[in-house]
Amino acid sequence: MKERNVGGLRCSEVLAVLSEYVDGELDDSVVGKVEKHLLACPNCERFGRNFGSMVVSLRKESEQSPEAELDVMARLLEQLRKAKAEA
Amino acid sequence: MLDRHLKDESTPDPHLIALTAAGDRRAFERLTERHAAAVLRLATAVTDDPASAEDILQQTFLSAYRNAASFRGEGSARAWLLTIARNAAYRLRAKQGREDLMNEPLMTLGRDAGWGSDNPEALAIAAQRRDTLTRALQTLSPGDREVLILRDIEGLSGQEAAEVLGITGRALKSRLHRARLRLAGALRASAEIKLTDGGGG
Repeated sequence: MKERNVGGLRCSEVLAVLSEYVDGELDDSVVGKVEKHLLACPNCERFGRNFGSMVVSLRKESEQSPEAELDVMARLLEQLRKAKAEA
Repeated sequence: MLDRHLKDESTPDPHLIALTAAGDRRAFERLTERHAAAVLRLATAVTDDPASAEDILQQTFLSAYRNAASFRGEGSARAWLLTIARNAAYRLRAKQGREDLMNEPLMTLGRDAGWGSDNPEALAIAAQRRDTLTRALQTLSPGDREVLILRDIEGLSGQEAAEVLGITGRALKSRLHRARLRLAGALRASAEIKLTDGGGG
């Protein structure tokens, strides 16, 4: 990919801060530069948008993950009861 | 009547831990039910083995029960439990003589993830399928999996996740970003395999 320098940042510099951008952890001044770059660089914009979607999907995984299975919980609680009885 | 305060979903964890320290079994069981799934997920991610993960689950809660009085409430209870679980899991890995990987340049990880490619959409589409996402997570190293689980799946703050991993906030950010790029690379690879196979759905 041909590196571009737009908005005061090169493509590789945008790539380096993409997670912090998605997590809202960048300073406002850097956010402004990243957004300027994304507006003018279709490659980084497309990758950034899809990378952000992936992070959103990953975060949903917690909502979809089943709780610990009942038999695992039952064994855990039984083991803990035994251990406490022996203590 | 069953302890009304313990039936309340909103009973704060530090209160449950204080009751546990005072010998309240029901409070401890409540705490266990609330956090067992998170501990099991992390233990499975680090050990790659369901049976070992279940042993670590037991060790973690047993240790938490014995050491409840030492919980200072400075971080969250979940972070405290995940720290215990992680230490136990890595002790086990060390016994098994397994070690982790590599530090590729960021641009290499980016290219593998689809940065600069014709079709970066493939990774977002693949990530929407839960089975594909789960399989892609399983291809990552335990180190990558644990940072994704702590930060993105369990939703710990950056500071809490850094404390569980015993690293600085800066190192956490770097590790998280690399792990996400490797996950993106794994998702993209799985999408390409599907296309090559002529499969789609």
